[in-house]
Amino acid sequence: MPLVMLCPACDLAHRCTAAPAFVRTRCVRCHKPLQVARDATIDTAIALAACASVLMFLANVYPLVAMHVNGASRQTTLIGAALGLYDQHYKMLAVLVFLTIFVAPLLHVVTLLYVLVPMWIGRSAYGQNFVIRLITRVRPWSFTEVFLLGSVVALVRLAKFAHVVPGIALWSCVLLMLCLSAMTSRTSSEQLWQWAGRGPP
Amino acid sequence: MTGRAATGRSLGLLVCLDCHLTMRDAKAPQMRCARCHARLHERKPHSLALTTTLLVLAAILYVPANLLPVMDTQTIIDDESDTIISGVLVLLHSGSWPIAMLVFVASIVVPLLKILALAVLIYSAWRRLPNGRMQRSQLYRAVEFIGKWSMLDIYAISLLATLVQVQSFASIIVGWGAWAFGAVVVLTLLATHTFDERLLWDAR
Ligand SMILES: [Zn+2]
Ligand SMILES: [Zn+2]
Repeated sequence: MPLVMLCPACDLAHRCTAAPAFVRTRCVRCHKPLQVARDATIDTAIALAACASVLMFLANVYPLVAMHVNGASRQTTLIGAALGLYDQHYKMLAVLVFLTIFVAPLLHVVTLLYVLVPMWIGRSAYGQNFVIRLITRVRPWSFTEVFLLGSVVALVRLAKFAHVVPGIALWSCVLLMLCLSAMTSRTSSEQLWQWAGRGPP
Repeated sequence: MTGRAATGRSLGLLVCLDCHLTMRDAKAPQMRCARCHARLHERKPHSLALTTTLLVLAAILYVPANLLPVMDTQTIIDDESDTIISGVLVLLHSGSWPIAMLVFVASIVVPLLKILALAVLIYSAWRRLPNGRMQRSQLYRAVEFIGKWSMLDIYAISLLATLVQVQSFASIIVGWGAWAFGAVVVLTLLATHTFDERLLWDAR
């Protein structure tokens, strides 16, 4: 039987052909990308993940924004934004913010390193299959870029009556956003399975 | 034409939505993916019913999300409540119209378009409308892509409420509108997730 692959978006069957590894194939019926580029190396992915974890550390340790008004000043960190909501008794909203700007990006990077580093030295991590599935499930809930734009909106609204200073964490978030998007585009689930030696035959 | 296309359903094949591996029906033990062990389904279970329920809830909450104040600015002199719309107007009056447009699109246009688009998609998947499948598939992907950007205002409000707590100057209190708005965003994200795109392409 010839190898067949189904389009996950419209269920159309395609016969697998030996397409060049870097070609992006699209479904003939609904144009969904079927196989993603396989030109990334595991070294680049690990480097980006390591870079993201350093930036994430900076983004969470240093203040995000500081505000000076009438001689008083206040500043907040990334997690402080979620805690502020919690203090005002909007617990569900605080959890939502905490999950999407802290837990999801952190889990994304940690789980990637957890599976990539053993792969790099030619082994496989304990529970690798489960963790790869976890990565693809966590990824859509990491909203760093949206948070960044939200902070810009908050800064603009504050700027009319207070002196606001963007902190180190805000700049780290900018770099983190770029780093995460570069990392995500290089670690699609097809790519991870390929590295795990369980790619399509 | 499309009715006779060779699909996974007609060939007895299944694709794993987590890792995109295609396998034979019979080869999947207990209907789990041979590679990543994710649960396999021919179509997402109860897709239309779940999506409709989530969407109806989102549409109901969209009303308080826009009518109730999302934040309350208390100063010594006055006490001012802002809904999402009045927040956009404040930004517009302070002269930062690009930011005002951004908030307007992300907080008002995007959620409304998402609710309408998903309603259209559910209806056409339910009736299995044969024409314009490509356009509807693109509509679904657009909804999927813009989904998270509605969180923008929630993040802005949470930062404002955390920062503006200066004694003797002003303090910002979050309003229930923000809660309803957050619920709308999460419900529409979940509705997008439970909708099975393949239902748009299934033959009558
Ligand atoms: Zn397709
Ligand atoms: Zn799978």
